[in-house]
Amino acid sequence: MDGSHGDILSSAKQSATWDLQLRQLLLPKLDHDASECEDAIAFDIHTARFAVTDGATEAFHAQQWARNLAEHWVRNEATLTLEEFRQWVATEGRELHDSWQGLTLSWYSEEKARTGSFAAFVGVEIDLKTPSWKAIALGDTCLLHCRGGALVKSFPLSRSESFNSTPILVASNAALHESTMSSAVVDSGSCESGDVLLLASDAAASWCLQRFEHGDFDADFLTTKDDEELRRFFDSERQAGRIRNDDLAIVRIEIKRRIN
Amino acid sequence: MGDSFSGDSVRKKAEFVAEVVNHTLHDLVIRCTKTEEVRNYYHVSVIGYGRNVSTCFSGPLAGRDMVPISDVADFPLQVKSSYKRVSDGAGSWVEIPVRYPVWIHPTADGKTPMCAALIRVKDILQRWLAEHPRGFPPTILHLTDGESSDGDPDEVGRQIMTLGTDDGPVLLFNCHISTRRSAKIEYPTEETSLPDGFARALFAISSTLPTNFLAAAAQLGVHAVEGSRGFVFNGDPSSIVQFYEIGTSLTGMTPYKWMDHTETS
Repeated sequence: MDGSHGDILSSAKQSATWDLQLRQLLLPKLDHDASECEDAIAFDIHTARFAVTDGATEAFHAQQWARNLAEHWVRNEATLTLEEFRQWVATEGRELHDSWQGLTLSWYSEEKARTGSFAAFVGVEIDLKTPSWKAIALGDTCLLHCRGGALVKSFPLSRSESFNSTPILVASNAALHESTMSSAVVDSGSCESGDVLLLASDAAASWCLQRFEHGDFDADFLTTKDDEELRRFFDSERQAGRIRNDDLAIVRIEIKRRIN
Repeated sequence: MGDSFSGDSVRKKAEFVAEVVNHTLHDLVIRCTKTEEVRNYYHVSVIGYGRNVSTCFSGPLAGRDMVPISDVADFPLQVKSSYKRVSDGAGSWVEIPVRYPVWIHPTADGKTPMCAALIRVKDILQRWLAEHPRGFPPTILHLTDGESSDGDPDEVGRQIMTLGTDDGPVLLFNCHISTRRSAKIEYPTEETSLPDGFARALFAISSTLPTNFLAAAAQLGVHAVEGSRGFVFNGDPSSIVQFYEIGTSLTGMTPYKWMDHTETS
């Protein structure tokens, strides 16, 4: 910690010039237990990868799928091209479905298992030598690249009104996977000192974009509050209906020039 | 199944309707299934009328007017086994074993005691509404193949439409299916387009389709506009399927229709 609320990360991909400062927040829906949260956050300092996923509530074992995607992706060295990502998701999906073999299921769970699981995914890899980022996304979890009070880029959705209830998601089922993968997108960007990358699940991303659209978003607010203050703040926003009552996942990554 | 019921036996029509109702119940259960749990987002009543007016559930659910969807899920009359052809994701098709539940068996009878049936529906609704005054307002999907044989359903239909919860009025949708090759009329906005008094009577006791239903209709390629009534006249088999799909679409949940890339063998 460096006085504000965030961890300075040391990674194999760090340079002598740049540091990453990380802050993360994962909250279940209001009146739900943390164990029910179907959003997932993962990062790996060695690969300098960060991911946020959001399991589709009505899918089969959505929490497991969301966690697998986030945790396994950040440990990977490849999977940053669309083709690598497609193959990697297919393997993950097969492994997930294999893990359900032998379960004794009711007719309805059996059908749900056959359809498989679904999750929105966004993952970013940061190269501090440049410094720059590359990201891949499918669904409505987003990466927001912020500089000062401005939004440099939001990816894959860029407007708050673009969020709807039927996003195309990462599917574990092989046949559905092939048809949804055409919606996966990659993007990249260059960073300056002080730039902030936010990874956020849909409700949080929509709220951030809406604040940007109204000219009143400050990505630094995530560092000026402690965990309990942030939880109370987002509970209050959801109770007031300014954020949909959904699980919330936010990762804030600040790229800072190292002060020697 | 052809495009029309023309020439089909009454039995075949009843079989088709039973198939659609079973499929609808199946879809409702799947929508409420979260991994291995069925959440009670709905209560369901299935009333049939012909020789008499009674609940269509039998077996473990026999005699129950209103059943939470988790009980519907757990107590089908039987679960049949079949095979389904699905894509293997690599450009080929594979056949996999599937189980599908059956709750309703086809029944066919000559009479159409519509008033008695709607009175029964009103009674069930009044009991449910007393227990769930703040619940999502019930939707009635009324399917008939002929004119009422026990009087004018207008009064009881209007009484049903005055019921509701804090969240809005009960919605009554009517679908008339025809064995004749008459032009079907789907989701009209005005009664002037209707051919006779029977059609106008059903139109009068059909609720206006709320906006979310319009979106579901558009997804299915069905023409419905603001002001359209939940009413089909001289419907054919596809009308019945669409009527149930549209009528059960106002759930606030994603139907995931785009996910269904499988084929039934």
